[in-house]
Amino acid sequence: MSLLECRNVGMKFGGAAALSEVNVTAEAGTITGLIGPNGAGKTTLFNCITGLLDPTAGQIILDGKDITALPPFKRARGGVARTFQRLELFTSLTVRENVQVAGEIRNRWGSRRGRVDPSDECARVLEMLGLTELADRDVSEIPTGMARRVEMGRALMTRPRILLLDEPASGQDEQETEEFGELLIQLCADGTAILLVEHDVSLVMRVCSYIQVLDFGRIIATGTPSDIQTNQAVLDAYLGEDQHA
Amino acid sequence: MQDFLAYTVLGLCLGSVYAIAATGLVVTYSTSGVFNFAHGAVATMSALIFWQLRFDWDVPAPIAIVLTVCVFAPLIGLLLEIVVIRGLQGTSEVTRLVTPIALLLGVNGAATWIWFRSGSRNIVPKKFFGGSKVDILGQAVFYHQLIGVALAVLIAGALYILLFRTRMGVTMRATVDDRSLLMLNGGRPDRMSMFSWAIGAALAGLAGVLLSPQQGALQIFALTLLIFDAYPAAIVGRLRSVPLAYAGAMVLGLSKLYFDWASDAGQKWLALRNMRNAIPALLLFGALLILPQDRLRGAIVARTRERFRVPTMRQAVAWGGVLIAVIWMLQTLMSGAAVISLANGMSLSLLAISLVLLTGYAGEINLAIFTFAGIALIAAWQFDVGPGGLATKESLSVPAILLAICVCAVVGGLIALPALRLRGLYLGLATFAFGIVVNQLVFLQTASLHANIFGLKFTVNLFTTGSLTMPKPHWFGINFNDQRNFLMLMTVMFALIGIGLIALRRSAYGRMVVAMKDSPAACATLGLNVTRLKLGVFMLSSGISGLGGLMWACQQRTLANNNGFDGFQSLTLFLIAVVGGIGYVSGALLAGIFLSVLSVVGPNVLNKLGADYPGLHWLFVSTLGNFTKFVGPALVGIGLGKNPTGIAEQVMEGFRPLRRTPGAAAVWGLGIFGLWILAWQEVIGNWTFAVAVILSAVLVPMIIKALYPDKYIEEELAIHGEDLDQIGLGRPFRLSDQAMLDNALGIVPPPREVSHVAP
Repeated sequence: MSLLECRNVGMKFGGAAALSEVNVTAEAGTITGLIGPNGAGKTTLFNCITGLLDPTAGQIILDGKDITALPPFKRARGGVARTFQRLELFTSLTVRENVQVAGEIRNRWGSRRGRVDPSDECARVLEMLGLTELADRDVSEIPTGMARRVEMGRALMTRPRILLLDEPASGQDEQETEEFGELLIQLCADGTAILLVEHDVSLVMRVCSYIQVLDFGRIIATGTPSDIQTNQAVLDAYLGEDQHA
Repeated sequence: MQDFLAYTVLGLCLGSVYAIAATGLVVTYSTSGVFNFAHGAVATMSALIFWQLRFDWDVPAPIAIVLTVCVFAPLIGLLLEIVVIRGLQGTSEVTRLVTPIALLLGVNGAATWIWFRSGSRNIVPKKFFGGSKVDILGQAVFYHQLIGVALAVLIAGALYILLFRTRMGVTMRATVDDRSLLMLNGGRPDRMSMFSWAIGAALAGLAGVLLSPQQGALQIFALTLLIFDAYPAAIVGRLRSVPLAYAGAMVLGLSKLYFDWASDAGQKWLALRNMRNAIPALLLFGALLILPQDRLRGAIVARTRERFRVPTMRQAVAWGGVLIAVIWMLQTLMSGAAVISLANGMSLSLLAISLVLLTGYAGEINLAIFTFAGIALIAAWQFDVGPGGLATKESLSVPAILLAICVCAVVGGLIALPALRLRGLYLGLATFAFGIVVNQLVFLQTASLHANIFGLKFTVNLFTTGSLTMPKPHWFGINFNDQRNFLMLMTVMFALIGIGLIALRRSAYGRMVVAMKDSPAACATLGLNVTRLKLGVFMLSSGISGLGGLMWACQQRTLANNNGFDGFQSLTLFLIAVVGGIGYVSGALLAGIFLSVLSVVGPNVLNKLGADYPGLHWLFVSTLGNFTKFVGPALVGIGLGKNPTGIAEQVMEGFRPLRRTPGAAAVWGLGIFGLWILAWQEVIGNWTFAVAVILSAVLVPMIIKALYPDKYIEEELAIHGEDLDQIGLGRPFRLSDQAMLDNALGIVPPPREVSHVAP
């Protein structure tokens, strides 16, 4: 059974359908890629999964339990964490505080046994993400690539079962992206599922075991990276039907 | 039945005027994203202009109305947009709410200054067509009212077509959705915003002219409140839908008239005789309850200009001590009257400090702060004094204070509950509406209320005599009836609450509160129950305002039920607290003192100067005095768009050079202490002392900057940054600049290296 399952999810804004009958799954301990051109509905799907939007159709299933009607904070407590394409940092706080506060929030709802020492855990996460040197800077001062790591660190502090990453590599250079890919592989080694939305196709192909492709709110292809690379519908969506013949 | 139909006709007539006002609000909000609190003031100003043209200058009614609605009112709207509203880009929701409040006070203040400065003016508006009537369903309806009905229908239809069926309407709505995107697509957001403010002001003007004959003699604040009644209708339309706002206005008009019908114009039930005035506020609550849940807001604040620094605990404790010492030293020099003014200011600061937590840290809004003061007063008075009067109790007791705090916290929670799932603006409006309801039904309640619950009969006297007298404390053998002692008690309370708030801000709870302000959406996805946290903060803040309010009431000693509970005083304090620096405890201190100085000390000093120099009476009293009294608070608020972080931050910035040179700071401090000893021993006069302190406060930082330029520049760059493109053009390039450039480009060493690189 998949850890996360989106069943026939639909989302309409007025008359415009942003998502139609989308079926996406993510397995524990694997990285699943979710790719598609701009406006395909990737971020909308993330918003539906985390509860920031209520889908107009379909169900979101987490570990066999229907979470479609749950508010966002309850989904987070169930183990869903995310980063944002458009940064959602706490700009009044420093880098360290941004990460630490997530642990403190977790301590309010985590079981007694699962409580973390926010400052120790925070130091470990900052180190893992290469943010230690920036820890006491205001988060609004740091470059975008680093800010995306802060968001990821914040999500990790909740010890998620599934991590939704929305374009985490944008703003990072080639070497940083490579290191970042290694980090993702390390993270899912302990059973965390990762759903990765990313425009850097080479990163996606390298780290994902499975890829699902969205276009105009519909899943047009699913498969392993090598399947996707040769899939006709994907090539049509990215390059246009006449361009690659 | 005939009566019912007649009241229905009148209700629809009243609803039509509300519809005109409400659609005006919708136009400005849906095209500029600013809730125009000044709408009522623009309406009032327009009505005054109209009656000035009609009565004093004998202009015929049709020309006067065209001049007012098509020329003067739109000009006021244009002026407000160009001078003030445009500067609000990139500011927080709080600033965008507060600035129109400043405009409201400013426009009303200006109107008072122009028409009512002598206080005795009597303008009695008349209906159009000399009060001619027509019979509809057995009810005589004035032509005046029919004009309102016809215009409301026409305007609602025209606005709907303009906003939703024309290219210009799409551009106007796009202005608020994404200004920069609109510009990239060739749109002109500034022009659209100006246009919408002109239309909004014209509609406010029309509503003002149509409503003014309802009043009898024209009163500025009463007419403004009449226009406020239309606000719930705009809320029904979520501030964006013209048809819903129109429908809401009709419900509002009908509700008021049906109440008249059911209650024989308020005569039937004495305890509810003010209910008519509370109906709009109650409807606002109803509208908030039926509004759909707002989507969790993202990090809007990330793109705003407000930044509040957090002091360390050591700094907080040190500054708390300094505050107590300074106030003690000052009061030794001050006359009794001056001590009372300072104590008034400190009591207002104690009220304002609750806003630091609620608005500064959590980004939420409470526009009924004095209502909580009134509730605290009633709770403590019922507990400590009761109907027996002061003879039974000569000291405020600690249990009464605790009771007042708890009652305020619970009431705050109950009021906030329906609005917590909505955006801050709606919470602000809900609190404002709550203030009006409590004022009408509780504070203005002079009848004894008799109740019989399960056979238990009891009587509640609220403001039966129109005022309540509250004793000051008498604790630990110290008589706080002595004004100086009470000032020190309030100062100690302020310092302790301030230190407590800073401790809270530095705690895990404080980080969560601030995180919630910055991005509720991100907080929710981390597992935080945002609604519950907001509720907790609102209750805590209401409790603090209960304490502050009780101290304010004790400071006043006898408080009449018309003493500032009508909402305007709450708006003013909120405004001044934001101007002072809502994210800082020192901002709350400045706000209280400033308000006291502005409303009492300033005019008194100017009056004295006017009396001492009769030749300059026109300058000191007629011009500066009236200016300070009527438009002073508004002007400082209007300046907020330029500096949304507030005055406290500017003051701290001014003294920054002293922090870098502790030796010089110590010498300055000792100098001030020496001057105080001289003043205390009456070697120098108080004015000499005051002038010397103020001059030194201005000059010393400037001198230090001149003496130690390097220290200051290093810090300045670290704090404000510098336009990186310009480095090396206006001054020689330094090694530290290299570090700064690396830093900005993200190829950086740790930040502390910036200050270690030799210049």
